[in-house]
Amino acid sequence: MIATLVQGRDLWQTVVASVVAGIGVTFAFSIGIWGAGQFVELSRNERPVAASVAGVIGALALLCVAAAVIVGIVVMTHK
Amino acid sequence: MDNDLILVIVVATALAFDFTNGFHDTANVVATSISTGAARPSVAIGFAAALNFVGAFISISVAATVAKDVVDAEVITPTIVFAGLIGAIAWNLVTWYFGLPSSSSHALIGGVVGSAVAAVGFDAILAEGLVGKVLIPAVVAPILAFLVAGVAIGIAYRVVGKQRPGIVTRGYRYGQIVSGGLLALAHGTNDAQKTMGVITLALIAGGKLGADADPPTWVIASAATAIALGTYSGGWRIIKTTGTRIIKMDAAQGFSAQGAGAAVILASTHFGFPLSTTHVINGGVMGSGAAKRLSAVRWGVAGNILVAWLLTLPAAAAIGALTYGFTRIFGSGALGPILVTLMALSLVAAAFARRAQRGAPVTAAGG
Repeated sequence: MIATLVQGRDLWQTVVASVVAGIGVTFAFSIGIWGAGQFVELSRNERPVAASVAGVIGALALLCVAAAVIVGIVVMTHK
Repeated sequence: MDNDLILVIVVATALAFDFTNGFHDTANVVATSISTGAARPSVAIGFAAALNFVGAFISISVAATVAKDVVDAEVITPTIVFAGLIGAIAWNLVTWYFGLPSSSSHALIGGVVGSAVAAVGFDAILAEGLVGKVLIPAVVAPILAFLVAGVAIGIAYRVVGKQRPGIVTRGYRYGQIVSGGLLALAHGTNDAQKTMGVITLALIAGGKLGADADPPTWVIASAATAIALGTYSGGWRIIKTTGTRIIKMDAAQGFSAQGAGAAVILASTHFGFPLSTTHVINGGVMGSGAAKRLSAVRWGVAGNILVAWLLTLPAAAAIGALTYGFTRIFGSGALGPILVTLMALSLVAAAFARRAQRGAPVTAAGG
């Protein structure tokens, strides 16, 4: 009875989706900023290879953020 | 004829409620972006209004919950829905006048439940839907936003902690364009759907739609327009905002608070949970503040929100029930709703005039 009332499965999925999206997107975006910061810093110190690696990591992280936003909106519109 | 007239009054009242919901909530949606300097107020408000409009079109799960899972549509009449809406609007007006925090969403559900109980008795209430889809998520969602924002900002500070402050601040400010946009989209989709759900419930009750019908396109479009116009208008009046009322935040905190709020509201909307978006956004803001320094959060605001939780549902339900009782004095026709509408309009005008005379600031209530 209680389990039915609480809509356990839907609520649990809401919690999981919120945690994954809320924390995951902030983490990925922070990696993007870290990558950009490292790229600038390492380029200044004339370390082009390390700067490029940091830049690529940052860019990939920002792509992940963009993908997460798009997937989220697509999921919302398909129910 | 009377039935059609009552339906017209219900639709107009519901759209007015939707407008006030957007008006009240503008601050909650845009405050974080403005307070961290991520966007100029005019840009943030215009952006939020546009995304509120778009958000209203991306889902109908919450509308279905409000129309079909809270009260039994088969025993509801348009007058009951009307009385519920008046209960919600009256409670929002009372709390706005006295500067108390409120939740438009809880007021709406409370008003409809109260008028339904007054008209039909407790048999009209679908306990499973009311508890499982409204009351439990209402408690869980703000706490979830608080925790998600708190963990997210902790991780963000660890990742970017050794970077130059300039690039970090600029980066998160750009990010807030996305997170603020998502929050506005989330607000539009959850809050506009409550109005869609109420109008659909009235149309089902009035025999214009089948019991399992989804909101018609005109209902979706009009609810989207009303909340967007309310959001755009509200931005220019509301001067006390969520971001600065609860904590003074940096851009990273703003990003994590908005991201957590958007994630919780969008996920909840997907499963059809009608939330108080204000409570969720405030939960995210407090979480991002508490993770940095517990004393940075103005916990009195959190206490006010708790009071709003406890008071709004029963108070709006009581006003909804009284309104229904009053309309019944004049029979089951349109006379009762017409009289109540005229009285309500007079009270709204008087409250605005008195408030304007006192020169007090318009404060943010919630949705």
